[in-house]
Amino acid sequence: MGKKGFLKIFATVTASALLATCMLTGCGNSGGETSSGASTASNQTNSGESVKVGLLHSLTGSMAISEKAVSDAEKLAISEINESGGVLGKKIEYQEEDGASDPSTFATKAEKLIDQDGVTTVFGCWTSSSRKAVKPVFEDYNALLFYPVQYEGMESSSNIVYTGAAPNQQIVPAIDYLIEKGYKKFFLLGSDYVFPRTANEIIDAQVKNAGLEVVGTEYADMDQTDFSTIISKIEAAKPDVIVNTLNGTGNVSFFKQMAEKNYTSKEYMTMSFSIAEEEVKTIGADILKGHMMSWNYYQTTETDTNKKFVAAYKDMFGKDRVTSDPAEAAYDAVYLWKAAVEKANSFEVGDILKAIKSGEISFDAPEGKVTIDGDNQHLYKKVIIGEVKEDGLIYQVHATDEPVKPDPYLETYEWAVKAGVKPLE
Amino acid sequence: MPNTPLLKKKGGFISRFKYGYHIVFAVLVIILAVCPFVMSTTAMIQFLGKCMCYAMVAIGLDLVWGYTGMLSLGHGLYFCLGGYAMAMYLKLKSNGGNITDFMQIAGINELPTFWKPFLSEPLTFILILAVPAVVAGVIGFFVFRSRIKGVYFSIITQALTWAAYSIFIANSGFTGGNNGITDFDAIVGKTRGPANKGNLITLFIITLVVLVVIYAVASFLVNRKFGKLLIAIRDGENRTFFSGYCVNRYKNVIYIISAIMAAIGGALFVNFNGSITPTQMTISFSVTMVIWVAVGGRGTILGAVLGTFLINLCEYNLSSGALVDVWQYILGAIFCLAILFFKGGIIGLFKEQIPALIRRITKSDKNKKEAGTDAA
Amino acid sequence: MEQVVNTLFNGLSLSSIYLLVALGLSITFGLMGVINMAHGEFVMIGAYMTFVTQQFFNQYMPESIGSLYYFAAIISAFVVTFILGCIMEKLLISRLYGRKIDSLLATWGVSLILQQAARTIFGTQGVNVTAPSFLSGGLTIGGCTFSYNRIFIIGLVAVTIVIVWAVMNKSGFGMKMRATMQNRPMAQCMGINSRKVDLLTFGMGSGLAGIAGCAIALLGSIDSTVGQNYIVYSFITVVLGGVGNILGTVLGSGIIGFASVFVETYQSSSIARAIVLILVIVFLQFRPKGLFTIRSRSLDEE
Repeated sequence: MGKKGFLKIFATVTASALLATCMLTGCGNSGGETSSGASTASNQTNSGESVKVGLLHSLTGSMAISEKAVSDAEKLAISEINESGGVLGKKIEYQEEDGASDPSTFATKAEKLIDQDGVTTVFGCWTSSSRKAVKPVFEDYNALLFYPVQYEGMESSSNIVYTGAAPNQQIVPAIDYLIEKGYKKFFLLGSDYVFPRTANEIIDAQVKNAGLEVVGTEYADMDQTDFSTIISKIEAAKPDVIVNTLNGTGNVSFFKQMAEKNYTSKEYMTMSFSIAEEEVKTIGADILKGHMMSWNYYQTTETDTNKKFVAAYKDMFGKDRVTSDPAEAAYDAVYLWKAAVEKANSFEVGDILKAIKSGEISFDAPEGKVTIDGDNQHLYKKVIIGEVKEDGLIYQVHATDEPVKPDPYLETYEWAVKAGVKPLE
Repeated sequence: MPNTPLLKKKGGFISRFKYGYHIVFAVLVIILAVCPFVMSTTAMIQFLGKCMCYAMVAIGLDLVWGYTGMLSLGHGLYFCLGGYAMAMYLKLKSNGGNITDFMQIAGINELPTFWKPFLSEPLTFILILAVPAVVAGVIGFFVFRSRIKGVYFSIITQALTWAAYSIFIANSGFTGGNNGITDFDAIVGKTRGPANKGNLITLFIITLVVLVVIYAVASFLVNRKFGKLLIAIRDGENRTFFSGYCVNRYKNVIYIISAIMAAIGGALFVNFNGSITPTQMTISFSVTMVIWVAVGGRGTILGAVLGTFLINLCEYNLSSGALVDVWQYILGAIFCLAILFFKGGIIGLFKEQIPALIRRITKSDKNKKEAGTDAA
Repeated sequence: MEQVVNTLFNGLSLSSIYLLVALGLSITFGLMGVINMAHGEFVMIGAYMTFVTQQFFNQYMPESIGSLYYFAAIISAFVVTFILGCIMEKLLISRLYGRKIDSLLATWGVSLILQQAARTIFGTQGVNVTAPSFLSGGLTIGGCTFSYNRIFIIGLVAVTIVIVWAVMNKSGFGMKMRATMQNRPMAQCMGINSRKVDLLTFGMGSGLAGIAGCAIALLGSIDSTVGQNYIVYSFITVVLGGVGNILGTVLGSGIIGFASVFVETYQSSSIARAIVLILVIVFLQFRPKGLFTIRSRSLDEE
């Protein structure tokens, strides 16, 4: 009984201590925020030695796999800027929040960052669902979000700067390239959510416009682990090329299970929109060898800035880490924000937005020079089609000569307008 | 389950006087009521609003689990049914009854029939209550009829929720898929930003009133014969059955009531959150709800409310920056500890463990008696 | 014809994967009555052990035996998850016997901790396991390709089942185990150390999850959330088969695996999953205790 009693007392004391700590933290924080109002919060940002920005990514849950690299790249950019003297003479401080792969948590945390912590600019989100959940928050509080991932387009908000590719900077040129290379039968494979669905609608219109054929469309569950049935469907449809918009872990399962059927890029060529260097590493270069990707940046992109970026990234996070398009876009986002702040000579959102609207904010990025389009707040970006080689890196096989003007609604493409690919009024 | 705080076996300081729980709840309500007026940031008010909605679900869950002994791992479904119903209404209100962007992407040119009732406000309110009630009624009817209970009930509700989740994802033209329904104003208008604080306070107070009503209904139910019967079902279903009570009917009624409470929570949550996604229907969210109840103290209405606020407040403040990793460990540990040593949760802590500790420290003779009952 | 053979093979292979995951659960849940929500995390640990073993072989072993790493991985995954299972039984489960629902919740807490531990140790990104050379690719007969991976997994399941069956029915420990699970007080009277039996049984169930993890590592991503994908299916499999019956679990996973493949041939995978789950639930209306039930006259048992 002595032992049991002791255990009980010990457990009680530990638990009470734990609870008390948690409560105190809660109270402490809520006490803090009662005294500092929204107006004082924005003053805080402008006074003192530093300026605070927010990082909002999933650090836990199913999306943490992808979002870690992005938040790492943002931290790298912030520390580089701080080393070189900061922005307008102020050091950047960041507050990181966990979105926990849940859009509602993203909304809650975005509001916390903006309203309670006095942050005016947030770098964050990955999935479309998280972006859509925080969009009204940023609009209502008139704060600024830098969204660093390629996405399905059909959106533009004056409070969001999209530093990833719009559909016409990734999907459309990739399909053009495939058509040019003589592929005739397309199979569209994607995860069951909005990016693949929208992307496939666009691809469908584009392929049909070229007089070619889509022989099948298939959506896999986000957490699908077995692709044998889908692979059977692909075999039955006999496509020339598979256009792959699977996201995250689905890619690993799909390609591993293609490989076990002896299928390589010779039997079924794939063009993927969500596989960057990070994913190649988890799937294996031996399996992905020869498959194609479409992005705006690869680790192998040959610019001077990129050499420095790759070296700094590996230096900070480990030799075996690789850089990828989303990470690079996140890195650009911080520098673009810096450029906008410096042009505006102010940290106020209104001034920054005015600077962005001028269309003159640009950054000599690892992928080449990127410029923010003043109208839709997307970036002018070069499109690069790449191919995976044995060493697990992606090498350029084709690229546009000039940065492509972003067109999130595909208004300048006749076939898209004709097919009714347009946003709702 | 020998731990039945309701029966008020021996004196902790809460159960010394009859209305202890209610007084604690009243204090909580007063604190909450004052909050929006003294807090200058709206983020915290929004967040507390969401917590109140969660608390409604927790009360519902506590009724079926803490009182009746049926652990539902699928309350996220009812939360979402209420949430989607409200979101559909608000979405149609904000876009003037037209089709939505996700419908357009899926090639739907006309508002689907099942969206049409949500054009009208009164019908929406009726449906928020009716849809989950019918779904829970049907599920409950079949599940209880075939005498599925205990962990089988948990596993089946879990599987059902997963099935519903898959259906919501697959029919993205009708439900918005993974993105859910987004981009609309709350029922009282815009609630975010300093300019809309008035609206937010209105919404907050409405939610608080609803929470009080739900608390009152739940307390009323469990303090009647009905509540005693639920506890009887939990502690000895067959004995209750043989005493001449139609156990299935009681179980079904409480399951429906609990589903409705979850749906009301979901419907109000949408107003604060400004969007609803199927993530709220996942198994992990449904288990999270159970965590709130378990930590607060199952089998007491107050416990469910306290647990919800405590866990969510901790999460809000601790899941950022360097603390993220630690927070996951703490959450896991709290849960294991609560289940292992504190079956009564926070309520039990104050009612049983702390008095016992005090007695132990003062080396009172009651020591032995305590240890005897605790060993269970 | 090709299509039919393909579908059957896909069904068989999917069933075997579900079975491998559910097998450990049918022991811990079916025989011991412990709802181990961290079972999926043991699968994850098994998958990570495959990765660790592979790294170890790449680093310290001669290249000639490099592809044999996989067998070492199976053993090490079993050992590690067995030990972790024993630790968990000792610290947690042993205090929760007879409180099924509580064991469900407490193990959920453990699963949160294990997931975060995986993130802390291996990072949030997934890791890559290369299939050993003798398992890469597939065997093509006519128009059908049977992948070596899948054939190996089917074989692995068969061997595992035989071993489990032998341990349970032909060994002294198995006899003690069955005795304890069927009538604990009586077994204790006969001098069986029931605490030890509990410990080893739970360890065995967890160890099987580790082996399942090795199989899954060949087919998909290895990350901290991989276990979550299997947990609901494996519980449903055990319930469908009838709790406490290994043969039932075999049949249950067969039904779920084949049904998923058949439905998915005509429907999208999300819908397929929903249909299969609902079918199983409807079936359980008629046989609430699954395909095989151990009949008992006891009234209050669950």
